[in-house]
Amino acid sequence: MIVSDEDLMLQCSKGDMSAFELLVRRHQDALVNYIYFTINDYHRAEDLAQETFLRVFKSAKRYEPKSTFKSWLYTIATNLSRNEHRNRARRKTFYLEDLVDENEDVYHSEFLIDTSLQPDILYEKKERQQLIKKTLNQLPENQRLALALVSYQELSYDEISEILNCSNGAVKSLIHRARQNLKKLLIKAGIGDFEDAQR
Amino acid sequence: MHKGSNHECENIQTHLSAYYDKELPSWKSLLICWHLKRCAKCKIKYRELSQIEEFLHSAEPVKASDAFLSNIMSRANSVNTDEKENRSVINKLVSFVDRMQIGLRSSIRSYNSYYILGFFVSVFMMIGITLYTPNIEELSLLKTFDSKTIKQQERLVAFEVIIQPEPKRTLKIR
Repeated sequence: MIVSDEDLMLQCSKGDMSAFELLVRRHQDALVNYIYFTINDYHRAEDLAQETFLRVFKSAKRYEPKSTFKSWLYTIATNLSRNEHRNRARRKTFYLEDLVDENEDVYHSEFLIDTSLQPDILYEKKERQQLIKKTLNQLPENQRLALALVSYQELSYDEISEILNCSNGAVKSLIHRARQNLKKLLIKAGIGDFEDAQR
Repeated sequence: MHKGSNHECENIQTHLSAYYDKELPSWKSLLICWHLKRCAKCKIKYRELSQIEEFLHSAEPVKASDAFLSNIMSRANSVNTDEKENRSVINKLVSFVDRMQIGLRSSIRSYNSYYILGFFVSVFMMIGITLYTPNIEELSLLKTFDSKTIKQQERLVAFEVIIQPEPKRTLKIR
């Protein structure tokens, strides 16, 4: 029987550390991936994911299962990544991963560990990731967040509306506009065979 | 294949994204499904949505490093021990007040009738006390004191300060 996140959180509020460990195990990869796609820096994404889980742990005693645990977790993560964006803009900081040239050999730690992968496949993967990051970065912040939440985290519109603090209708139009803009950007980059590109 | 009217297609296309995410009520998704079967133009738009999703999922998702879990658990354990050490009486009192505040706020938000009644009674009492402050002399308990004795206590006491003048000559020792 699978214990729900909310039940695990209630156990965690009573001081059960194993429940908290299970929660982290369940959500760590998805959370790091989400933050990575919003801030574009792997190491900083890991730091922020750790900070998110710590905040969850600290406020476990005050937790009330009014909404899903996932939406609560992603609300904290979204706020942290928004703050990160704001701080970066204030300091005018650029991260190395944003500045690297596409031809440079910079791989993620996972790729380095897996030696069985061919260099050309690695290169292709990396290039694809860079391209996705670039196109997503051109979207406005709220559209990018909404799209990442619906596509990568598979959250419902209701949960996203809670996370982004807006109405369900606003989320619907945000995602619709995000996809429209992404399509335009892909046509511009010459990727995919869209009907509009053939005209 | 039958072509839908322009207005109908425009209307359908605004809902296509939500239809793709299965976020529409069943009657609406049924209508769109029926429309997609007979309209080639909207079908292409729908296919484009799946192409965009394919593009987004073509990159391999990043994963947390191996040390991620152990780092969090050690940090959480240190938070736990710190909390236990810092639990003095003052902290306990602060957290009690904090919890009371949260409880009160949530009960007001959830329209708990007892809390709302209590809240209004306390507000009216505070307003009443500030507007109609009772006169101390009129209170029956204080009437036993004679008003003259109170006035005697409030009398000013005059006092004199004598400052001694400094001597004009001082003896210097070499």
